[in-house]
Amino acid sequence: MNYELSTLFLLGSGYLGLLFGVAFITDKGWIPQRLVRHPVVYVFSLGVFASVWAYYTSVGNALRDGYGYLAHAIGISLAFLFSPLLLKPVLELTRTYQLSSLADLMAFRYRSPWAGTLTTLVILVGVTPLIALQIRAVADTADIISAESAQGSIAIGFCILITLFAILFGTSRRAGRTRHDGLVMAIAFESFVKLLAFLAVGAFAVYGAFGGFGGLNEWLNEQPELLQSLVDTDYFSSFHVMALLFFTASVAMPHMFYVTFNESNGQRSLSFASWGLPLYFLLISLPVLPILWAGLQAESLVQVEYLPVAIGAAYDVPFITLLGYVGGLSAASGLIIVITLALSNMCLNHIILPIYQPSASQDIYRWLLWHRRALITALIWAGFLFHYLPDDRISIQVIGTVAFTACLQFLPGIVAILYWPQGNKKGFIAGLSAAFIIWFLFLMLPLFLELDATPLSLVSINWREISAISLIVNSFLFVVVSLYSTSSDEEKSSADICALDTIQRRKRSGLVAKSPMEFIRSLSKPLGDKTATREVNQALQDLNLSTDDRRPYSMRLLCGRLEANLSGLLGPSIARELIDGYLPYSIVSEHGSSDLNVIENRIESYRSNLSGMAADLDSLRRYHRQILLDLPLGVCSLTHDNEIVMWNRSLEEFTGISTGDVVGSQLIDLSEPWLSLLSNFLDEDANHSFKHNFQFHGQKKSVNLHKALIEESEDHDTSHEGIIIIIEDITETELLEAGLTHSERLASIGRLAAGVAHEIGNPITGIACLAQTIRDEYDGKELNNLAEQIIEQTNRTSKILQSLVNFAHAGTNKTQYEKEVVSIKECMEEANTLISLDKKHKDIIYEIEVDPAATVFGDSQRLLQVLVNLINNARDASPPNSKISLSGIINGDYVEIAVSDEGVGIPGAIRDRIFDPFFTTKEAGEGTGLGLSLVFSIVEDLNGDIDIISPVNTDKGTGTRVVIRFPKFQGEAVVTNNEQEEDAKLQQSV
Amino acid sequence: MYIPRSILVLLVIIYLLFLASVDWINQPEGTWYRPFLVGFLIVLVAGWAHREQDSDEL
Repeated sequence: MNYELSTLFLLGSGYLGLLFGVAFITDKGWIPQRLVRHPVVYVFSLGVFASVWAYYTSVGNALRDGYGYLAHAIGISLAFLFSPLLLKPVLELTRTYQLSSLADLMAFRYRSPWAGTLTTLVILVGVTPLIALQIRAVADTADIISAESAQGSIAIGFCILITLFAILFGTSRRAGRTRHDGLVMAIAFESFVKLLAFLAVGAFAVYGAFGGFGGLNEWLNEQPELLQSLVDTDYFSSFHVMALLFFTASVAMPHMFYVTFNESNGQRSLSFASWGLPLYFLLISLPVLPILWAGLQAESLVQVEYLPVAIGAAYDVPFITLLGYVGGLSAASGLIIVITLALSNMCLNHIILPIYQPSASQDIYRWLLWHRRALITALIWAGFLFHYLPDDRISIQVIGTVAFTACLQFLPGIVAILYWPQGNKKGFIAGLSAAFIIWFLFLMLPLFLELDATPLSLVSINWREISAISLIVNSFLFVVVSLYSTSSDEEKSSADICALDTIQRRKRSGLVAKSPMEFIRSLSKPLGDKTATREVNQALQDLNLSTDDRRPYSMRLLCGRLEANLSGLLGPSIARELIDGYLPYSIVSEHGSSDLNVIENRIESYRSNLSGMAADLDSLRRYHRQILLDLPLGVCSLTHDNEIVMWNRSLEEFTGISTGDVVGSQLIDLSEPWLSLLSNFLDEDANHSFKHNFQFHGQKKSVNLHKALIEESEDHDTSHEGIIIIIEDITETELLEAGLTHSERLASIGRLAAGVAHEIGNPITGIACLAQTIRDEYDGKELNNLAEQIIEQTNRTSKILQSLVNFAHAGTNKTQYEKEVVSIKECMEEANTLISLDKKHKDIIYEIEVDPAATVFGDSQRLLQVLVNLINNARDASPPNSKISLSGIINGDYVEIAVSDEGVGIPGAIRDRIFDPFFTTKEAGEGTGLGLSLVFSIVEDLNGDIDIISPVNTDKGTGTRVVIRFPKFQGEAVVTNNEQEEDAKLQQSV
Repeated sequence: MYIPRSILVLLVIIYLLFLASVDWINQPEGTWYRPFLVGFLIVLVAGWAHREQDSDEL
């Protein structure tokens, strides 16, 4: 069963076209985001690691090493099973600082462009055999199933296709910014196809070749040496190294780094993959043994690695042959696409950009895109050339081992990123260089040289020993050189950021650029206007900041985000150079100026991971912070250079300035009147200032201010000297005090009036007596008329005086209430008399309509006071020539008294507050704000209730009616609750 | 350094499973897929250890 070359070519093109179709419809949004972002898709995309190695090489390994072939699955599974130890911290770093490759990570951690360049070079040299391996596997398998021997044509055709698709897949968007959903979906699809094909071939091996598990077991029982070879422990020594190799590859291999960290949806996806990927590798390892045994049973003459393709031919099942071929093609193409994409970015950022950068006038994005495409092409064709170099006798297993061993050399550097902050760039470069030389001389070189002509061949030297030696030399040099050399401050800072067990102490420094516009101006020099504007706007959008934000804290965040974004675009070394060169800090490091906001945010985001004493300390910190935040006094904390660090809730409510807007800004950025208030107070020598009055939104506010200096602590690294200001809002207290003073003044006037009335009353009584005497004792009509008029006038004066006295004595204490039967009519007339004494508003018309039978049981003087207040208010609110109606009617068991006016009415906004003490809408000096409050309390004390209807005239929206209801007098005394209580007390005392 | 407790439990379980199953796997008369049974068991435990929890996205 042989296939035409054109058929295989069409099959390959069709399959790659299908992959492109999947990517295309994903990018178009035709597949729901819920599915695209599902962790299962992420797990399948990670299946890209199961390349030709897992698909073909595993079968050969199973024959040689028995269960040892599982080493690669175990190595990668351990990395994911224990992801919190390595993968999750690295994911956090790569996401925060937009690091898109291992070279970026190394350059960022060791703060050296050389670290990034060396990493790229080592990976480039190390990974090229892996690309060659994929090309060779595709060419070899095509050669097995094709009718003609055309490895070369197949390899060239495959390379052309894959170059085209790699360019189409990965370079349509800006790298390092967004998740490439289309690419991820396509890779996940190819992993799914690969798994399905392999499982199908495995199932065929069991059921097609052996007729089921029973047949397989019977055949195995006849081959005891095969079962024995499975558990042979000879492979065990290399098993550990192989597992370690693949463990390291989970981070060091560019395609794994790219998919694991760049295309991840966050920690949750990685948590899912922590068990999902081991499951994937378990499933893809499962058919290996049945396929091997089916091939052995058929006595296939094909190279054992290619049995997944060959057993279909051996048992004459063309479908299985094609399925096996498509699975292999899928494994090879997926790896090549991802690895060349990742490598092209690395080469661009760490080899090309440090040497040559586009000018500001060029479109940087376009320049990067075309260079990336050129690099992808170059990398694939380098792999193509390489696949010709090794001797045909060298199996794909050997080539793969050499490639993976190169990545093992990054293990010390990666471990040091997270667990050894003392490690520095000199140590890293020395260790990696030495290990690379050993690897190249003893593993890479023998691939090209004639095996028989060199003593350094793989045949004579065990690769395991070479791997171990290179790793030991690498680690030794790394540790020794790091310990005996010094690290720069920047490198120490990066090490602290990366290390898991150190606390980052970020210094708070001011930037020279003070606003986003200044950022754009500064970055325009190296990047051009268009790129600079786009990058700054993108960073602002990422941080949810506005272009008007000028807070130093925001500017520092913006600077950090810009560096991270530029790092994703140009690599961390170039990004760092740009930021250092064009967005410098005004003061490199200020003494005692740790960035508290940043520290706090960091602790907040890390909170659920704190345990033990750290968690206790955090709880304590939160408790103390909460006290300050919830304090019923305004608290504002400033650094020594007047940057606001705390602005608590009371202050937020009092000033109307939200905490989020003000924290991190300078004091001078505050709006008036707060800026003047706080600035003037800070300039004062005194630490306390009382009764500061100012106007805010047209209202008078009054505050007490207190300040205290936060002293410099002895620990210079964590000192936070500054000033704390406490703002006490005493506006309400001031109003209460003013009201009380006014009330006291009114009471004095009342007492004075009572005294005056008493003093005037005596002479008036005398005058009245004398007038009566004249009228009764003396004759004369004219004289009697005069006397009569004098008596009338004195009566009138007495009545007025009596009213004055009554009013002055009213409303002091409810225990003084005198209960009597009160005629509403009389009370209303008396009130009217009192009101008419006021000469103001003489043009108001009063209408009184009272039922004479309307009587209540209460205190006439209090009732009088209520009516006087209500009529006064009605009169004040009434326009000239309007009418005030007073009515008193009996409504069932109640007497309803109503005072209505035709004034402007009461606005809804203040209706709830009109009974509040000291609340008034009258001009200052005209009203005390106590009238309605007093009315309310008196009505309540007299067991009545009060209701306000406004507007009365709904058409015009004018008029107010105050309705008071009291229980009607029923002929005997209505016993109030107070009296009942008093009676009960009396009875108890008796 | 923060390591979730469930991961430590996973580490212990994998180690104990390895100790307990290595002889069982290596028995000559045993079935060939025994290592995969142990593997599936580990994946199950890992699924529990990495179950979705309310943790902060760092």
